[in-house]
Amino acid sequence: MEQPSVPNAQPTAAERFIAFLDARVGLKEMQAKMLNEPVPGGSRWAYVFGSILLFLFLMQAVTGILLMFYYVPTADHAYASTQYIIHEVDYGWFLLSYHFWGSSAMAVCVVAHMSQVFLWGAYKPPRELLWVVGLALFGIVIGFGFTGYLLPWDQRAYWATTVGVEILDKTPVLGDFMARFLKGGPTPGQLTLSRFFVIHVMILPAALMVLAGLHLFLFRVASPAGPFKGTPDEIKAKTDYFFPRQIWKDIVGMAVVFASICGLTFWEPVVLLEEATPDPGDYHPEPEWYFLFYFQLLRFKMFSGEFGQLLGAVALPVAFMVLLVALPFFDKDPERNIFKRPVALISWIVVMVIMALFTVSAVINREFLD
Amino acid sequence: MMVDERESMSPTSIGLGVLWPACWTGLPIKLVFALLAMAMGLMQFEGRLAIAFLMLLASPVTVFAVPIITLTFDSHFGEGIGMPLLFLLSIPIDIWALGVVSRTFLLERLGKEPPDGLGLALWWKSALVGAFFMPVMWFLVSTVTEVAISTSRSLAEMESLRFVFSTGLPIAERIGLEVTVWGSVSSAVLIVLLVIGVSIIGRIIRRTAEAARPAPENYQGLVTRWDLERVPADQGLLLTTFTVAGVVLALLFWAVLPVTTPHPHECCKKPEAKVQPPFKPLETLNRDEQLIARLAAQVDVLEQQKAEAEAGKNEKGMGKVQGGQEALPLPGRKP
Repeated sequence: MEQPSVPNAQPTAAERFIAFLDARVGLKEMQAKMLNEPVPGGSRWAYVFGSILLFLFLMQAVTGILLMFYYVPTADHAYASTQYIIHEVDYGWFLLSYHFWGSSAMAVCVVAHMSQVFLWGAYKPPRELLWVVGLALFGIVIGFGFTGYLLPWDQRAYWATTVGVEILDKTPVLGDFMARFLKGGPTPGQLTLSRFFVIHVMILPAALMVLAGLHLFLFRVASPAGPFKGTPDEIKAKTDYFFPRQIWKDIVGMAVVFASICGLTFWEPVVLLEEATPDPGDYHPEPEWYFLFYFQLLRFKMFSGEFGQLLGAVALPVAFMVLLVALPFFDKDPERNIFKRPVALISWIVVMVIMALFTVSAVINREFLD
Repeated sequence: MMVDERESMSPTSIGLGVLWPACWTGLPIKLVFALLAMAMGLMQFEGRLAIAFLMLLASPVTVFAVPIITLTFDSHFGEGIGMPLLFLLSIPIDIWALGVVSRTFLLERLGKEPPDGLGLALWWKSALVGAFFMPVMWFLVSTVTEVAISTSRSLAEMESLRFVFSTGLPIAERIGLEVTVWGSVSSAVLIVLLVIGVSIIGRIIRRTAEAARPAPENYQGLVTRWDLERVPADQGLLLTTFTVAGVVLALLFWAVLPVTTPHPHECCKKPEAKVQPPFKPLETLNRDEQLIARLAAQVDVLEQQKAEAEAGKNEKGMGKVQGGQEALPLPGRKP
């Protein structure tokens, strides 16, 4: 037999505290709005990448802050302090390797997230602004990878950044200014390191937090797009709420990514080359692996010479980004089923295949560099 | 519409519809054990980490195939007791995952009542198929890839292509062409074999579904039922269990994590990432020539010293003879 509830039971301390906050900030309403959002067609594993990216950014921030306790951003001490972290600091090797592989994970997940949005047609009206802000976030993630790569100040870091900045220099009108701004002078040195450090730990994180907040706000306003297949009745029948189903999937996704990054740190912990010197010697500069495909593409003969370098290093990537930004404004067809959008599907496959093919080619090309 | 979907589902769709979610369902749990094994140094991977990961992911079909491939083709994924231990641990995990996924699949997509012991039945059948099919696939894809690589290299050296560029096909273009040729062939063979393998599993599932009773509910009823299949009866208890397990695993991980960079097993040492000092041929030649000249001069001095010593010995010998002692015969001369 059920016990009758006691009508005059005193609330616990926790309940009183929550009631206090709720009366002042509308906690329960906020909680309901955040957690009770309907996910049309049900929660999906395909939707986890956005949350995973937020999680990865948080982990990068935590590991980055811990690394900053020891890292010294000067040309004289950057290398030594990084080696100190790897060899002397307890678990320093793990933190640095996690941070290193975490940046790769961010690159993979951002491409996965963009691919999911593209394939689901979730960039179409009324989600154009969401897509554009997402592209800006993509640029920030790439910027993180590029600026962070220099910080260890070994040969690989120094020369990969030098090559990257020289490519930026090819941009007409603004290129010289941008290159000199990043380098802090005519040649890479102490000022370059300082600027990259400030961009990496202050400017980009602030920009990411602002844009991520805007991205989430726009997502909540537009509401999830849902699956591209199924009748309205089927989609309605399967509707989940954000809590607990999608949150559970997000947590599992985060755990898998976390474990994968940890596995990679064990498989290949960070090892530095020799300290950066103005003479590369026999070292052949190479960017991070997720830029390798483009690095290999630029080796083609058609991208040699002044015009070729302008075409390959500037025109092509800018054209591609402009195409992506303009996509929701010219693709207004309401059809979202990827199997009924052959141009979109084939384009996506071609881009993925090109990235994979040229990354493998770049790895093979290493043997021929001498 | 659901009747149409049931009747039109190909074995490949059925196989994919069960295997894909089942692999991902079991992976998070296996990954936790894999991570602990790596942290404890019980497991070291060789270069082919991606393949090892895929094998672990697809372990309903690779659990018996991996040892067969390792022994038959001398393919080495890594060292340590952790690997076989992980595959043993994967067995109950995969049985559970296959059971959960196949029950909901049968209910929602095929409208059938899932029989008891579905997870175990599907697991041993998949593992058996994988034990035969995976080694065959491994052999075929390896062979085709090797042949395709050598063919693509010959293609890149074709005379007709040499005329395109005055100095022959440039390195980057040549590599791009080779990778496109052998990559396409190899990927096509791999995809075809994967589709065949998945469709075999799909046929097994379809046969099981045909033997099962139809589920009585309508679509909404079925959706509600498969939904409830995946929701634990006591969510609070499950949440608490997961939280406690998570805390314990996190503490264990930090306890076994090496304080300094772990040393890899002999099998799996990475090549040292060292920049070679620049090689300057002229300087090296000059240096070597100087060294040779110095050594030749030293040899001359030593020979001169030896000749002088021998001459000195001969003079002493002749002096002794004059002193009344029989001289020792000089070499080559008869006494």
